[in-house]
Amino acid sequence: MNDATGPGLSDELLEDCLQAVYRIVTQGREAAVGEIAAFARVSPAEVEAAISDLRARGLVVADLPDRIILTREGQRLAAGILRRHRLSERLLTDVLGLPWDRVHDEAMRLEHSLTPEAEARLESLLNHPETCPHGAPIPVPDMSPPPPATRTLDRVLAGTQVRIEQVTEEDGALLRYLASLGLFPQARLTVEEVAPFGGPLLVQVNGARYAIGRDVAAKILVGK
Amino acid sequence: MSLSCHGALQELRADVDLSVALAGNPNVGKSSIFNHLTGMGVATANYPGKTVEVQLAVTRLGDRKIGIIDLPGTYALGGISEDQWVARQALLDGSPDAVILVLDATNLARNLYLGLQILDLGVPLVVALNIVDQAEARGIRVDADRLGEILGCPVVPTVATRGIGLDVVMEVVVRRDAHPAPLRARNRYSEDVEAAVGKLERPLAARTDRPHRLPPRAVAMLLLEEDPEFLDWLAAAPDSDALCRLRDEVALTLRDLRGEEPALLLSRERHGLAGLIASEVEHRERRNPILADRLWRFTTAPLTGLLILALVLAGIFTFLFVVGDWLSAGFSALWAAYASPIIRWPFVTLLGDNALSRTLLWGFDAGINAALAVGVPYILTFYFLLAFLEDSGYLNAVAFLTDRLMHKMGLHGRAAIPLVAGTGCNVPAIMGTRVLGTMRERIIASTLVVLTPCSARTAVILGAVSLTAGWRWALVIYAVTAVMAVLTGVGMHHFMPGRGTGLVMEMFPFRRPGLGPIIQKTWNRFREFVVVATPIILGGSIVLGGLYETGLLWWFAIPLRPIMEGWLGLPAVAGLTLIVAVLRKELALQLLVTLAIAQYGLQAKNLLTFMRPDQIVVYALVNTLYVPCVATISILARELGWRLALLISGFTMLLALLVGGAARGLFTIFGF
Repeated sequence: MNDATGPGLSDELLEDCLQAVYRIVTQGREAAVGEIAAFARVSPAEVEAAISDLRARGLVVADLPDRIILTREGQRLAAGILRRHRLSERLLTDVLGLPWDRVHDEAMRLEHSLTPEAEARLESLLNHPETCPHGAPIPVPDMSPPPPATRTLDRVLAGTQVRIEQVTEEDGALLRYLASLGLFPQARLTVEEVAPFGGPLLVQVNGARYAIGRDVAAKILVGK
Repeated sequence: MSLSCHGALQELRADVDLSVALAGNPNVGKSSIFNHLTGMGVATANYPGKTVEVQLAVTRLGDRKIGIIDLPGTYALGGISEDQWVARQALLDGSPDAVILVLDATNLARNLYLGLQILDLGVPLVVALNIVDQAEARGIRVDADRLGEILGCPVVPTVATRGIGLDVVMEVVVRRDAHPAPLRARNRYSEDVEAAVGKLERPLAARTDRPHRLPPRAVAMLLLEEDPEFLDWLAAAPDSDALCRLRDEVALTLRDLRGEEPALLLSRERHGLAGLIASEVEHRERRNPILADRLWRFTTAPLTGLLILALVLAGIFTFLFVVGDWLSAGFSALWAAYASPIIRWPFVTLLGDNALSRTLLWGFDAGINAALAVGVPYILTFYFLLAFLEDSGYLNAVAFLTDRLMHKMGLHGRAAIPLVAGTGCNVPAIMGTRVLGTMRERIIASTLVVLTPCSARTAVILGAVSLTAGWRWALVIYAVTAVMAVLTGVGMHHFMPGRGTGLVMEMFPFRRPGLGPIIQKTWNRFREFVVVATPIILGGSIVLGGLYETGLLWWFAIPLRPIMEGWLGLPAVAGLTLIVAVLRKELALQLLVTLAIAQYGLQAKNLLTFMRPDQIVVYALVNTLYVPCVATISILARELGWRLALLISGFTMLLALLVGGAARGLFTIFGF
């Protein structure tokens, strides 16, 4: 993020905000300005300025009023920042011996100064760690977000809340039909009832209830 | 009356001062509103090759003639399913002056999706916020004014089942038409989507050949959603190359930006916005679930659900038996006491007592008496029960509970709904199998519908068997029929190429059914039954009477002897009634009763003068299983083609003879 910074906005601020949005969204919550400010530990006014800069660069878009989501390019960059953040944390605990509850703030500073080469060296020095000291997964080097743990919907027990990750259907008609009912990737649903002996599932999405046959449920990948 | 949809919509528009379309999700009280607004004079229209119908009606408000187009209830407009396609097409073709959008106040977020889609088309909207009473019972208050502000259209709270608020809705529609107010707000989606729509909107605004004269924004969105009709229009339109390229470019940019197909993205955004609007205007109090909701949980829970299903079936059977029997006795007594003497008098005085007058009396006296005794009571009662079940929302629970069983027959739970409808009449049930996705499912489901005892066959089972051989034998006939149907379904699933698809169906909460709409529904169906059945009953009875009075009856029965007497152990003359009953199934029993009345007088409706109880059981069993009535065969032919219609009919004939022969054999060996 070295080119064309807006007047008075530091790369650090932009990267922190981008990372904040990424973390909030991957936790399944909505990224509103207040929330981003709390996460990045900056003022809401700074967040507003940063977001409008990030929007101009095509990294985030304002979805519905007061909610920020990442574009694909934004996701790629944010995953990279998070990767450097978590590698930095590992460096601080594993090599420098800092206690793990204090490394987050240090890493917030370190992550911005790592070049790609330093990042690669650091990773091999640390023996390719998979998680940060707090146990969160480190995004893989192609910068795509870490694959979420998934299973098919038909294996979910009654009373569980899950998020749809993917609908595996060849012709796309089912995908569109499900989408018109509000059952699309990233939608949250609650499994209310599972009929015994291979019967259908009763799920709730946005206050509406649907019966979904086991065979259809087996085509829906869900995660936490 | 069925019309071609496109033409019918044009005619309607030309004929009225103001045209209004009714749109809404399934089960939100749309048909209650339609019935309330229109009363009589309803026509239905079809698109070629589609069975989902659009209903049209004309009503008057003051001095204005208002045409009403009732769109099929759908969750969305689009091309995915037939109902969605028809709703969308009728809305575009009808280009109504206003759309009344019926929203379910208990489930606003879900319902607003369709509303946003209609707003995106740029059609003037009036919202009927329905079922507000039940929403309040569940602790949900909707701020109608705020909703109106957000959507930029009038919002009127209504309770359609009790007619509350509907006059206000129509007043608003008319007033709005007289003083058109521009749409104040429009849906705002994410800025990148809005930017993409905006980019397409500008060149579209310059074109005068936009389909259905839709506003440029609507066309831009449909093009982004890759609506086939609009893509075709774009490809064929003159000077559209630049626009085509722009569309592809904009769609590609959006996909790159969000990593998702624009169509899916728009769905997601509409759902997001719908949820947002709902949370803005709803005020939810935490309340204990109301009785209907708690009950609802029990009906789908594994153990209690099956228990309740059994209880409901037992309840239906008991109600049908008790009320039907009571009506039957009442109608017969009334007919014998008052109508019969009046009807006999002119025939006997004018024609004298001869073969001709007696033949006519077969039809006008005995025939109608038989219909009142064994047809009408059970059919009327059954239609009432079916309307109650449909309006209560319990059929959803049936679909949920039977999904597993349906899978064994290559179907899914949704097929349960046409099958239940089939217990009323097979004809609409076979049309109802259109809700199933594939032809394979429709063939299997239609065959099962044909094997489902309709109300006419129920009249025969209850009117003949339970009154002579006892209600247990009536149950046995139902059980045997059910087993045969399941075996047939499993067999078809096993031998037919292809595989089943899955169940995805909205589950509605229970509604308290309004007595008014139930009676209206019952009456509409019953009226149709009377109109169609009366000439057939009269004709069939008179033909049979003529054969009887001239003595030809016994002569005609001779060729049936090998099958009837030899194989089934029934009097050959009963075979004739079975053949005539292809016209209408309840005719079988009615003709037998008519024969009894002709031979033994009005008091002798007792069939035991003809047959032993075990023979009646075999007779009813054969009548239940063999070849469906002509109306069913012709609808099978229309829906599946003649080859399959004849194949299915032939199969049921064979099955009936096999089961009937087997039953006779068992009675011979083990006794009755």
